[in-house]
Amino acid sequence: MPELPELNPVIHGKLRLALLSLLIGVEEAEFTWLRSKTGSTDGNLGAQLLKLEEAGYVAVEKKFVQRKPQTLYRMTDAGRQALTEYVQALKQLLGGAITS
Amino acid sequence: MTASNEELDLKDRLNLIESMIAEGRRATGSWAWTFVFWGLAYYVAIAWTAWNQWPYAWLVTMMAAWALCWAIIRSKQKNQPERKPATTMGRAILSIWVAMGVSLALLLPALGFSGRFNQHVFVAVVAAMLAVANGASGMIIRWKAQIASAFVWWAATVVACFGSDNQCMAVFLVAIFLCQIVFGVYAMSCEARERRQGASHA
Repeated sequence: MPELPELNPVIHGKLRLALLSLLIGVEEAEFTWLRSKTGSTDGNLGAQLLKLEEAGYVAVEKKFVQRKPQTLYRMTDAGRQALTEYVQALKQLLGGAITS
Repeated sequence: MTASNEELDLKDRLNLIESMIAEGRRATGSWAWTFVFWGLAYYVAIAWTAWNQWPYAWLVTMMAAWALCWAIIRSKQKNQPERKPATTMGRAILSIWVAMGVSLALLLPALGFSGRFNQHVFVAVVAAMLAVANGASGMIIRWKAQIASAFVWWAATVVACFGSDNQCMAVFLVAIFLCQIVFGVYAMSCEARERRQGASHA
């Protein structure tokens, strides 16, 4: 029996998975846009983004635009690779591997 | 967790990934109104020129339209709760339209001031430029309606070269109506439908 792939625990969290999936389609996104798309609270969103940043999956840039602070997130190459592998593992698991 | 529950959870995650990627792709702003706006601006310039034959009617109308268009875009951006993120596709399409706008803004006054301007050259140049922009945008986003719009502009380009003065003006008016007004209204209705779907999805 072939060995089942393991799902990356950093990505497996639903909010983190949603964040990476949102970021893969855009060049960079503001914290407020990510919050509105996920419906998450500031605290939870910040904590999950920090975990993704610590894992090297997202890069953060803080700047001021017209004197207002702006936090921009973009996906790194490592994040893109990790999400691709996660989706492949997910499809492999769903492809009849769960039998019991 | 039972095997079927686990499978459901995994499928749920796969659906989540797909829906979030689609949400990210939907992140481009709404631009359909600009087609209607510029269509109306062209009609104003044509009517003004026909009314008193003032040579600068087009130049003044286009400059006023640029200023008004810019003001509306700035106002819409200010009223948005959060800035929409940039996508590579969105940037590609915007680049095409900006480059087309700059080309027209340079070429048409240059033709006018150099004395090489006439109605046929004007319609052919404007129609060809709009055909390129619509065709390239339509091919990037694979939107048949916009590619059809490009074909109408290409047809107008050819008619402007071979047709009489009246035929040239008639085809220009028809092309503006079909490709700016009708297509613009259709694109606005598509955007409204997408927004409703996005809202119900959220």
